[in-house]
Amino acid sequence: MKKLLAVLFIALLVVTALGATKIRVLAWDDAHTQAWVQNLKAFEKATGIKVDLELIPSGSMLQKTALNITENKANYDLVAIDEGNVAKFGNLLIPYSQWPEGKVFKKISTSEIPQAIFAAALWNGKIQGIPINGNVYVWMTRKDLIENPQYKKEFMEKFGYELKVPETLDQLANMAEFFASKGIYGFAPFTKNTEGSTCEAIMFFEAFGTHFMEQVNGKYVITLDKEKAIEAILFYKRLMQYAPPGANDMGHSERIAAFSDGKVFSMFQWPGIIPTHENEDESLVAGKIIYTAPPAGPARRAAVRGCWILGIPKASKNVEAAAEFAYWLNSHDAGKKLAEDGMTPVRTDLLTDPELLAKSPWYQGMAESGLFAVSRPNRVTYYPEISEKIKVNWLAAVTGAVDPETAVDNMISQVQELLDKYEK
Amino acid sequence: MRNRSETLRRDSRKGVPSYLYFVLPAIILVGIILLFPIIYSMVISFFNWPQVDSGNRFFMWGKNYLDLINDHEFWHSLFLQLGFIFIAIPIELVIGFLVALLFNREFPISGVLRTLLLLPVFTLPVLSGLTWRLMLQPGYGAITYLLSLVGFDFPQGILSDKSLAYSAVIVQDIWRMWPFMFVILYAGLVGLPKDIMEAAELDGAGFFRKTFTITIPMLRPTITTAILLRIIDALRIFSEVFVMTNGGPGGNGTMLYSLYIHKQAFEFGKLGYASSMAVILIVVSVLFAFSLVRKNMDIDTM
Repeated sequence: MKKLLAVLFIALLVVTALGATKIRVLAWDDAHTQAWVQNLKAFEKATGIKVDLELIPSGSMLQKTALNITENKANYDLVAIDEGNVAKFGNLLIPYSQWPEGKVFKKISTSEIPQAIFAAALWNGKIQGIPINGNVYVWMTRKDLIENPQYKKEFMEKFGYELKVPETLDQLANMAEFFASKGIYGFAPFTKNTEGSTCEAIMFFEAFGTHFMEQVNGKYVITLDKEKAIEAILFYKRLMQYAPPGANDMGHSERIAAFSDGKVFSMFQWPGIIPTHENEDESLVAGKIIYTAPPAGPARRAAVRGCWILGIPKASKNVEAAAEFAYWLNSHDAGKKLAEDGMTPVRTDLLTDPELLAKSPWYQGMAESGLFAVSRPNRVTYYPEISEKIKVNWLAAVTGAVDPETAVDNMISQVQELLDKYEK
Repeated sequence: MRNRSETLRRDSRKGVPSYLYFVLPAIILVGIILLFPIIYSMVISFFNWPQVDSGNRFFMWGKNYLDLINDHEFWHSLFLQLGFIFIAIPIELVIGFLVALLFNREFPISGVLRTLLLLPVFTLPVLSGLTWRLMLQPGYGAITYLLSLVGFDFPQGILSDKSLAYSAVIVQDIWRMWPFMFVILYAGLVGLPKDIMEAAELDGAGFFRKTFTITIPMLRPTITTAILLRIIDALRIFSEVFVMTNGGPGGNGTMLYSLYIHKQAFEFGKLGYASSMAVILIVVSVLFAFSLVRKNMDIDTM
């Protein structure tokens, strides 16, 4: 009898295993996705769907996705795609509006995530997936400095308004000037020869009211307003007067070191790096930072966005299960647990959740910044080349190698050459 | 000799000469590891070969090469690369030679010192680049601080300025690779016949006379080999510059040739275009090798 029961039990297990839907998921490997690994069992238990989660270095994601996802082939049912690569894979993904309703987890409404963040998945006028992390510029201001009574008094005397978190770029410039006189650098720019410099250019162009490129009648055209672009560059140069030594060559490591050393008053940061500033073992300013949306320029606030999205390939054979997994990741309850384990949430209710905020105060800044998120002109497959032209000319201008007018002219003419070449 | 030829002929009659069986594995390995990637690069250099969009790959004759002619950044990177070679390698050669001369005699702890001098060569290029980047930081960089003590103050940072950053990349390479020159030249010096030197000394030749009329001419093949190896290595320099400056400042201040190939291949995803640059790099390497070997190694008489 025992033998019979054992055989039946094993048979049941085999049938269950064979019968269970299994999805293959491809994502980047870091603390965020390691939180997925920790919680996978909860999803599998709730849905009966088995997940084969493959995590690889983010730098390899583009090639791996390209090799495994085509019009007719999908070796993965759900793939994480960096916003910058949405243009490359947008056509191969099922539009979010066609994703099925979830059986266990509710389909995420576009109102649960800030609209400007959802736009990370925008391709050809359609949302092609769901954002999975709210990666957007967050503004950091030193709380201990703006609350210092002596500084408050002196600032009021000099500028005639209260020292606080800068709400406009003009206020930021005033405060930067003020703190420079106190031996504290007002602002840390990003001027390394990497994508970060393009982000700075886009943020300031947008804040000054000009958009770099737009699609008109199916073709991209440059819409950069030269006057506003020059104003933006001149303002950035003004801020750089109050930057730490080496301002012409500052990347992530230099900015992290300067801010964590307590030498900088205010600057932007990506959410993924902020925990470093809040780590008491690595930072002198842990617990002394206020997180907000970036200060507004003459036109608006602008926070550059760089989210990962989850997309379901058209050729996937497990669309329902893949969607279920994406809904679970973005659901409130699972999202909260994932956030506690290291995942940066994207839902507004989680970014403003008091319990999560107590542990990760920068979520408030992410929620605010998400409302003002702007995209780089990365909805074309040749965006890296466009970014290169923007970056090189922006850096040439802000570091003083060429005058702003020449830099903007060069930027426009060089990007126009690319448009002429690729937009035939 | 006759017996050996006869043996080979005998084996040939049966089919493949027997010695081929011994060299075949090596030929296959070399073919797979060395020749195949080169041939593959050459082939795709004639294609439009995007990294991602496999449906958009097509033969385009020599368009990639024509585009290179009009690519200002290509010429700029080639100029920086050749400048790097013509500045760094002669300095490495001179330092390496002088130190080799110094060590070409026994003195206390000379063995230990010789070993210690080689340490920079064993430093990983990435590690070297990162360390130099840190040492050159304004505010907390050790080199910046030392320079400020002797009156050279760079408040905006050495790596912020195009010329200084380019110089820094060269100095970093000199620091890391002069011991390589030293070790090769030292080995050559040790192998020189002592009797000629002794005869020259008996004839009253001084240090400089001996160095310029005996040592250097006799070391010529060794020097050529050292220069050739260094040039081939320097043409491929990548990781240390990548981590030190990433081709900047100012967008292209230190955009050496390999960095520009990398940018085209892995940032822009233009593998065909990058391959055409790589093919030109091979041609330049071969030209260097051919001219150096032909002029200095008496290849025609070999």
